[in-house]
Amino acid sequence: MDITNTETFPGKTIIASHGVVSGSTVRAKHAGRDIMASIKNVFGGELKGYTELLEESRNEALERMQNQAKQMGANAIINVRFSTSSVAAGASEIYVYGTAVTVE
Amino acid sequence: MDNLIILAVLISCGYFFGRHAEKKHYRSIVERENALISLPITSSRHVMILREIDSSRLVLGGVVISVDYFKRILAGLRNIFGGNVRSYETLLDRARREAVLRLRESCLDADEIINLRIETSSISKGGDSKIGCVEVLAYATAIYYKK
Amino acid sequence: MKYLPSLPEKNDNVSHNHPLSEFALLSAGLILFFGIVYLILGLLVDLAAEKISYETEAALFQALSSRVDYFDPQNDDLAEEKQRVQQIVDDLQTCTDLPYAIQVHIVKSDETNAIALPGGHIAVFTGLLQAVPQDNGLAFVLAHELGHFQNRDHLRSLGRSLVFYSLSAMLTGGNSSISGLLAPTFGLTAAQYSQARESMADRIALDTCNCRFGNINGAVDFFRYIIEMKLDSNLQIFHYFSSHPETQKRIDELKAYADSKGYQYSSF
Repeated sequence: MDITNTETFPGKTIIASHGVVSGSTVRAKHAGRDIMASIKNVFGGELKGYTELLEESRNEALERMQNQAKQMGANAIINVRFSTSSVAAGASEIYVYGTAVTVE
Repeated sequence: MDNLIILAVLISCGYFFGRHAEKKHYRSIVERENALISLPITSSRHVMILREIDSSRLVLGGVVISVDYFKRILAGLRNIFGGNVRSYETLLDRARREAVLRLRESCLDADEIINLRIETSSISKGGDSKIGCVEVLAYATAIYYKK
Repeated sequence: MKYLPSLPEKNDNVSHNHPLSEFALLSAGLILFFGIVYLILGLLVDLAAEKISYETEAALFQALSSRVDYFDPQNDDLAEEKQRVQQIVDDLQTCTDLPYAIQVHIVKSDETNAIALPGGHIAVFTGLLQAVPQDNGLAFVLAHELGHFQNRDHLRSLGRSLVFYSLSAMLTGGNSSISGLLAPTFGLTAAQYSQARESMADRIALDTCNCRFGNINGAVDFFRYIIEMKLDSNLQIFHYFSSHPETQKRIDELKAYADSKGYQYSSF
């Protein structure tokens, strides 16, 4: 499924709009990553564990959004926006939403 | 020993009452979504149907939903082992759908709703790292066509 | 552009498995993991406790000694009691292999108890002195505490608590509600361990009394007092979590032990 964060679909025309679709995941890090992060806090540098974690979460959220759009009969999603928030101690939530459309 | 009893009571209260509230809420959400399906909504900035516009206004829908004790315990356990915090997923899903529904209900006579944006934040007791509740705000522009 | 709305049938944004099964799985996993690590560390603590010599212990707990002196009574009537009790302890000590002098401190309180503190101190509450006024009965209780010293029990329990709380803090992050889930696990294992050590100390106390007095009359006076005054809790379930075995059970075990060793007694 094609996903874009523009207003219109580049190179194609939108013929129908199906409404807003969204995908969200809430992921927690495990205790091991927590301890590594505390150690990194002393030495500085990239927290590779967390980067990986958030990347996985984003991919999962995008997949969920695509599944929802497919169920509605769309073949593309436009105007996609991401939002990250922390909703539990040590867990972060990735939320992605957009408009499901049919293009040709 | 008494700690264990108190903990068990809190967890079961959280579980039973929380599940009941959640089921009731979901039923209400599905019902209202089905009723409001005819009102077009989009997160795009452009109007879908090109007609002359009479007026437009900002519309909002907000909700704050709290976490029950059972969910909190599950989230804490997840924090040790990692992975999807499933107990919070339903919470956020409910909150978002409720916020968007309230937004739509606030402008039932509109012709279209464009530029939907959603903001999520958490409200907690100060100092504590435990999260008390989740607040979702949905805002968009309601469009009224010339009759 | 047309508007063709529809609602998805399946909600992908939530998981559809039962939260209770997740809860059971995760708690079981946590308790199991914790239990294994705690068991291993507990064995290490036991090994370490046996290696610490009496001198090292006295040096380590030097700071505690100065605090305990605070309890020493200024008034004369308790000073007499202190001397009596110190004499009993000194006499009992000849029958043990403790190389350093044990200091007795009297604390004014209604509690019927005596505590062994690291560094060679015993704090005796005045409630205990009233409960078992006779020398024989008191001697058993004091010999029990000396038994704890010999087994390094106070060091073991200190080490184990330290291990538990640091492990718990590391995994659950201090004051979280999950610590509440782990605390009963610790309570149960610590209680069982403690009960085993108490039984051992009871047996050593009997040996010491027999060595000192030639017989074990009045050894269970204290337990009889507890039963008479109904100070022991009655519900069976609480005994699993208690640090001491049930009182009647202690008496029965001691009787069996005394008979097996052929100790002389007129009443029990």
